[in-house]
Amino acid sequence: MDLRRLLRMAVLQAALGLLGVLVLWPPAAPAQEEVTSPIRRYKEREASTGYYEDYEVKPRRARPFVGAPEVQRRYSPVTPYRPRAAIEPQARSYLQDSHAGIQFYETRHCEECHVKEANQAHTIRGNLTCRQCHGGEPIAGINYYYSPMNPIRRHAYVCSKCHEGASVSFATYEVHERETGAASTRKTFPSLYYTNWFMYLLIVGTLAFFGLHTLIWVGKESYHAIREKMKPEPESKPEIEPEPEPEPEPQEKAPPEKPEPKEPEK
Amino acid sequence: MNGPVRIVRFNVLDRLFHVFIMVTFLIQAVTGMGRLLFSTNWGKTVVNLFGGYDGATTVHKTVGILMIIGFVIHIIYVLAKVEWKSWRKSLFDADSLVPRPADAVHFGQKVRWFFGLGPPPAFDRWTYWEKFDYWAVFWGLPLLGITGLMLMYPLAVSRIVPGWVLNILVLLHRAEALLAMLYIFIIHFTIGHLRRGMFPMNECMFAGSVELEKEREEKPLWIARLREEGKLEEAVVPGPPPWYRVVYFVFGYTALTIGLYLLVTIIVYRNYIKWH
Repeated sequence: MDLRRLLRMAVLQAALGLLGVLVLWPPAAPAQEEVTSPIRRYKEREASTGYYEDYEVKPRRARPFVGAPEVQRRYSPVTPYRPRAAIEPQARSYLQDSHAGIQFYETRHCEECHVKEANQAHTIRGNLTCRQCHGGEPIAGINYYYSPMNPIRRHAYVCSKCHEGASVSFATYEVHERETGAASTRKTFPSLYYTNWFMYLLIVGTLAFFGLHTLIWVGKESYHAIREKMKPEPESKPEIEPEPEPEPEPQEKAPPEKPEPKEPEK
Repeated sequence: MNGPVRIVRFNVLDRLFHVFIMVTFLIQAVTGMGRLLFSTNWGKTVVNLFGGYDGATTVHKTVGILMIIGFVIHIIYVLAKVEWKSWRKSLFDADSLVPRPADAVHFGQKVRWFFGLGPPPAFDRWTYWEKFDYWAVFWGLPLLGITGLMLMYPLAVSRIVPGWVLNILVLLHRAEALLAMLYIFIIHFTIGHLRRGMFPMNECMFAGSVELEKEREEKPLWIARLREEGKLEEAVVPGPPPWYRVVYFVFGYTALTIGLYLLVTIIVYRNYIKWH
């Protein structure tokens, strides 16, 4: 009895232990395999010859599909290239190094993550680079007290590099354009949000109203013209003729028309 | 003259204002669109015609100031035209562009005519869509002019209003400009060129005169009023000389081509247009 109970407990403990080992054991084999990405593995030639290009040895550089990071992110919110940010973005704005702890930070470009921020007027039109305003490494968070980007000194340290005499008020201009019609803008920048929708409705309303008006008008006139041309053959005259008559009538009550204007021609 | 009898509709100054706004508006549209689409190759090419981004900006600002001056001159001209002794009559009679209750009636009649429920309205001198064209420019020009002028001097403006107001001004300026372009290139061009009886071009804004017989159909009240007041004889003018017609046909069709090209550009590059 005792021995059987002991055996049963031993088997149970061994099974649990094995399960624990299976769960906790590091996945040794995949980690040691030479891959550029979790999706695309090395081709046979590289694997057999041991000859790799420079870029292939660097981790996670080759991409499974060619495309902009923006597009990839649209289809899948979790891509291998997204930084696994241990710190939330909001909290990052208070750090001295706002990019602290982001994997492979040195090999990345600003616009890989900050897609929308990179695509804005100062970079496209003014031909500026991110660092000309945001500075060199480490890039401090905007709310970090000693950051040159901190709103208390942004106008003096950043804006006035080009805009001589920039004031605090001037620096409240939002350089990175936001989505004017987005729900988040309604909370953070309501005047811009409502202006956007006012102008949007004005444009759509005006074009819809007068577009429809013009379309029906041109169509109706063409329709009458075509019927006019086809009139002589069929006997539909009485149907059409009464229509134009009522308008000229009131004018014809006035003195005869043509003789008057002809006088000055002599 | 053996041609049709023509009566005067626009004087020289009216036509000059129209030509002025055509030229300046198209320059503003081209330089503005080039800069708006500067992220695309199209925008870069267009902007390079004006000597690069800064050059296009300078042209845009200069022509903008010219437009504001032109608008001020126009207001002085309009105010001088009003007979202030009988201002109520002068402002609200049929020769004035100020909207009247009759315009709403005409619009109702037009809609009824659209659906075959009645005869087309008999217009006086100005139809309601002509009045809308005029007032659309009258509201658009100050809006674009004031926002543009404020954006020209952001440092000075941000001393008076908070800097984020400039964000709203950018949005207003671009949206109003887009509305103006779309309205002119779609609706104004259709009414001026594509309507039956107008087809190659409605010449009255360039020739200054209209054919009496054609106007008798669309604007019978105007002709009747002229006759009652005994002004019809004074209004008769000779038609435009052939060389002048050639000039304004070339000019008009150049403007039409530029406008339609810009319209196609707006449609093709719609995803690259940033409101703000």
